[in-house]
Amino acid sequence: MKGDKFYIFLFLTPAFLISGIFLYYPFFENFKLSFYKTDGFFNSTFIGFDNYIRLFNDEIARGSTLNSFELMLYVAIFQVGIALVLAIMVNSIKRGAAFYRITFFFPIVISGAAIGLLFTLIYNYRNGLLNEILVNLGFERVLWLTEQSALYMVAIPTIWNYVGFYFVIFLTAIQKIPQDYYDAAALEGITGFQKMTKITIPLILADLKTCLVLAITGALKIFELVYIITKGGPARSSEVLGTYMYQKAFVDSAMGYGATLAVFMVVIGLTLAFITNKFIKNDKLTY
Amino acid sequence: MKGKKIGLVLFLLVVSLFLLAACSSKNSSNEQTESKPQATENNEGKEKEKVELRVVTTMAGTDPAGEVFQKVLNDYMEKNQHIKIINDSQSADAGTIRTKINTDFSSNNEPELMFFFNTIDAEGIINAGKVVNLEKAEGVDLSGYNSMLEQQRNKDGNIYAAPQSGFYEGLFVNKKLFEEHSIKIPTTWEEYELAIEQFAKTDIIPVAASTVDSYYVVEHYALAAGGIDHYSAKLADQDSTWAEGLDNIAKHAKMGAFPADAATLDLAMVQDLFKQEQAAMIFEGSWFWGQLVEAGMAENVTVIPMPVYGSGGQTGDIVGGSTQGWFISTKAYEDESKREAVVDLFNYITSEEILLEIVAATGQPPAKGQLSDLPEYIAAGHKLVADAPAVDLPINDRILPEAFTYIRESVPSIVNGTKTGEQVLKEAAALE
Repeated sequence: MKGDKFYIFLFLTPAFLISGIFLYYPFFENFKLSFYKTDGFFNSTFIGFDNYIRLFNDEIARGSTLNSFELMLYVAIFQVGIALVLAIMVNSIKRGAAFYRITFFFPIVISGAAIGLLFTLIYNYRNGLLNEILVNLGFERVLWLTEQSALYMVAIPTIWNYVGFYFVIFLTAIQKIPQDYYDAAALEGITGFQKMTKITIPLILADLKTCLVLAITGALKIFELVYIITKGGPARSSEVLGTYMYQKAFVDSAMGYGATLAVFMVVIGLTLAFITNKFIKNDKLTY
Repeated sequence: MKGKKIGLVLFLLVVSLFLLAACSSKNSSNEQTESKPQATENNEGKEKEKVELRVVTTMAGTDPAGEVFQKVLNDYMEKNQHIKIINDSQSADAGTIRTKINTDFSSNNEPELMFFFNTIDAEGIINAGKVVNLEKAEGVDLSGYNSMLEQQRNKDGNIYAAPQSGFYEGLFVNKKLFEEHSIKIPTTWEEYELAIEQFAKTDIIPVAASTVDSYYVVEHYALAAGGIDHYSAKLADQDSTWAEGLDNIAKHAKMGAFPADAATLDLAMVQDLFKQEQAAMIFEGSWFWGQLVEAGMAENVTVIPMPVYGSGGQTGDIVGGSTQGWFISTKAYEDESKREAVVDLFNYITSEEILLEIVAATGQPPAKGQLSDLPEYIAAGHKLVADAPAVDLPINDRILPEAFTYIRESVPSIVNGTKTGEQVLKEAAALE
């Protein structure tokens, strides 16, 4: 046992070191920076809690937080929901499952920047794909990215980008359900939609909960699609915490305030992870 | 068994040590080069110490001067074989060069020579004493410069950067589209508004502009409303003409002056609209000519000053100046083994012949001498500068970056009526 402890310690040390150097130390430095008015390099003044006071009075930060929460809601409902429906459908087909698996998973391997550019070109007012189609059909051009619609328009590629990830998790989980359950259910006269609600979903509930936690916490990391497609606009209507933090830290050289926003994002992320874990506790399920 | 464990631990420790040593070997060899330069024969037959210099500039990426600059460095190394130059240039697009330079200087890894923005961006480096006062640096030749050298003078009275070229901003107009639609190229504010009205009735966008990346639009509308006297004000002054300029952007947006999706377009997309002849005018800088030549449409374009209607100036006043220059790092200058080489390279690059060779690639007004055989359109730009009654730097080079970002990113809110120009300026000033 003593020997085991030695090896546990030995093999965990690199992971601790790497996490410490590249995660915890930078986070501590970032936390320290949030108490300074600084460009991160030569000009630095200790200002106590001023950045935090500014954060709570900052209208743009408030709007960005609400937008992040709204995106989180769309992501949780649609990314996970669509992935679940697709997984159930693909699992039930006899032929071509491999084709659909690849097709639905494909967006995951495309970088966010490329997807952002793709959708920028799709939504473009003057020369975009959607408006070119409309014009060719004899309709007027439509302004796709308005203050009312921008967040939905960003949510579409965000959802599409990650549906494949949850789809694969669900498909694997569904395929692990023993066929006996379905056979027994068929004898009882359960088919079609009932099969999904009475057998499939209850048996993959643990995976469903995990996906929800991942989707909710992952939504705070949304950055590149918003940054490329709308730049947080029009008029900050699609600004999210990630893009606002980037702007403050790297465009405005206000590293101190950028660091404060980063701390705020970590606090929200941890709180949400804690709440979701608390509300959707996993019950061990064995077949 | 115990012996085996100890052996394993020792083995892992040794491997780790080797890895760490391998990681740091490059640095130690560099340090060795720095502290104990090796002797070598140069082409004059005298023994000279080997020197390695690192140069960081913005002449890279899409900048047409990048290729010429590399050739200049190669020629210099050919003539001075004891000097090795590492060209660590990076494009100025996206502003990451600022982070690179600041990181280099704050981590004691500064380049020996750099061509960087001598604006608020270099303030921290200058205040930290990381670059030398060129007027007092022994051997540095600052002769032959035109007025651009004086523009580099810091508020402490010293000159830390030697200019290479100047730039101007203005209203680039597609002459062909104006002719085709029988619209007069504007020389007054009224004509400018008339041109907007007339183009708005056609399929041509009057002004290719982004209201979020609205750098040049904000500057030119402030200039038009107040003339150079008011344009040169500080943000803290809360000059009412700046607010009027911002409100004029909203007024013109309602007249259909800008693309319908101006609030989400970036500068590159806006430039494309102009280059694809879907827009008649664009606010841009002298560096834009390179793209127009590449697009094969430079002959159809001319640059005019923003029509000024405000009482503090006149049409012809322009936004421009010289904001980039060559800096010598204090670390390199104080290093006996490098001083001679770095000063010599500085004098070589800033000599009139070489400076003109680099500047010719972009067609910008040079800080020394004159460019010859200029195409008509480039010459028109140089005339714009020569005839300008007054020139002042872009607003974003004069105020806190955070405050300027706030102003330009608030333009869509002014356009949609949720904010006024005055309100935005007040909120931006509070950030300073």
